[in-house]
Amino acid sequence: MPDSTSNLRRRKFNFFDAIEKPTEWLIRLCGWSSIIGLAAIFLFIFKEAAPMVPRLNWVEFFTSPRWIPNPAPGNEPSFGALALLVGTFTTTFIGLMIAVPVGLGAAVYISEFAKGRVKETLKVVIELLAAIPSIVWGFIGLMVLGPIVKWVFTAEPGSAWSVVMVTLHLATADSGASQGTNLLTGGIILALMSVPLIVSLSEDALRAVPDTFREAALALGANPWDTVRRVLFPAARNGLLAACMLGMGRAIGETMAVLLATGHNNRIPLALTDPVRTMTATIAAEMGETVHGDAHYRVLFILGIVLFVITCGINVASDLIIKGVRNSNKGPK
Amino acid sequence: MYMKSPGKFSRSLLLGAITLMAAREVSTAFGAVIRVKGSDTMVQLASGWAEAYHKVKPGVQVDANGGGTGTGFAALQNNTCDICDASREIKKEEVEKVKQVTGKDVKEFVVAYDALAVYTNPANPITTISVEELTEIWAEGGKITSWDQVMPGMKGKIVLFGRQNNSGTYDYFREHVAGKTPDKKQREFRGGISEMNGSAEVVENVAKTPLGMGYSGMGYKIDKVHWLKISPKKGEPGVEPAADVARNGKYPISRKLYLYTAGEPTGEVKAYIDWILAADGQKVVEQEGFVPLK
Repeated sequence: MPDSTSNLRRRKFNFFDAIEKPTEWLIRLCGWSSIIGLAAIFLFIFKEAAPMVPRLNWVEFFTSPRWIPNPAPGNEPSFGALALLVGTFTTTFIGLMIAVPVGLGAAVYISEFAKGRVKETLKVVIELLAAIPSIVWGFIGLMVLGPIVKWVFTAEPGSAWSVVMVTLHLATADSGASQGTNLLTGGIILALMSVPLIVSLSEDALRAVPDTFREAALALGANPWDTVRRVLFPAARNGLLAACMLGMGRAIGETMAVLLATGHNNRIPLALTDPVRTMTATIAAEMGETVHGDAHYRVLFILGIVLFVITCGINVASDLIIKGVRNSNKGPK
Repeated sequence: MYMKSPGKFSRSLLLGAITLMAAREVSTAFGAVIRVKGSDTMVQLASGWAEAYHKVKPGVQVDANGGGTGTGFAALQNNTCDICDASREIKKEEVEKVKQVTGKDVKEFVVAYDALAVYTNPANPITTISVEELTEIWAEGGKITSWDQVMPGMKGKIVLFGRQNNSGTYDYFREHVAGKTPDKKQREFRGGISEMNGSAEVVENVAKTPLGMGYSGMGYKIDKVHWLKISPKKGEPGVEPAADVARNGKYPISRKLYLYTAGEPTGEVKAYIDWILAADGQKVVEQEGFVPLK
């Protein structure tokens, strides 16, 4: 009897049996696709940049702000990317200086204090903020925020505000900011773009802290501020850190918004309202018109590699920090 | 069946022959497309021509795009455009490259003149500047960085707005204003110039910046900015940008605008270029703020 049924089964075509294997492979492929994609991207970028790697003057690349990729006939091009590196780091730094406190504050408010309809509305609005395309942010920077920043950071030379601005390095010139599109404007725009990410991830992290922690804190007589600072923040540390790191990743890789909002000016900023230029904006502005395969084209890919290495570095560092935090949490116990 | 087919066969042969031998002419009859690409300086002009020409010959569609003169020449090589707008003369390497890829010599047409104006903010009382001073302001290692060095009584650092380094306007201004180094090499621009992606953007930024100075085509003048009279040397009388002085070369920063084609233009492309060079096309040149040939 068992024999005859197995024969029968073998003869009968079963659809689900037939697609069992391919499905398994398909799912496996999905799992691996991100790794394959990453490897392919890295290979592509590296392949395009490779011929220039031995020829590039690396000392000049990292130490000189002289970026002249299209020299006049008879002149040598010069690929000094120092100002671009500084531009990327400073705009990201300013962005995070604003986004991290605002983002964490908003997350604490939404997860711990806001109730009912307020809470739901805030969550929806913040998620909407994340849906605004980056070019629109750039436009807001150029047309709305830029003029406001220019207006705030303008003063009669010699007036009190002018002296304050120059002493605190808020502006280089005693008349204030030279133009509305600058480091500060770019930073604020980046902050606005990364706040939604930081808020929603931090809020998740805070919500994941068990309510027993809050109850215990209350039972010990802690006020809400102490509860947040001494109990919730340490408990949600990993998630909060990951949120900030992802916000930083978002800021450092942003292109279109900073292209419009920073002034696209190849210089090392000496004050908060100096215009700057980032690596991403340089790639976007110049890639379209380079001759495929020439030095300029390849150096733009090298900029891409540098960005890639920086973001990988950030991710690895945040992983290590998070692990470190986890271990030290275990330690004292 | 077989007996009837020779008639059908010969008819389709005839049709095929027409299509093959006169593909260009046939396609014209059903709405030819002329692809134009190149200089950003000329993009307003090019679309002005395209619109006006559409009224004359509705069957011909002209696609006018910018992207920069260099992009236009690259497109000419790759045969992704029929006409390249250029705000500078074609370089020797570019001629050779087109010849190499397409097997044709480029053909050059001068279609208009353009004067690059130096724009300042109306808050700035300055009216005249010399090319010498412009050199010191814009070139690498130049000595002039603040307004009181050129305009007594005007305080503050000069804020410079230029074009991105692959635009024809950038090349042209560098060539004519940045000057030469002692060993006869072209001087580059100084660092710290905001590089804008479009000519209108330069003017717009100067309008918003009291201490600003920027360069752009004459056609981009708006009410919110001033342009400067330019003299070749300090102390000489300045020349205001205008049509006649741009054509006869008295205005120091004027240039020709070109169209280039790969090989002698034929068919619709030729008709279009002829129209541009004639009175109607030249009227558009004037309307767009450039200087017509006559």
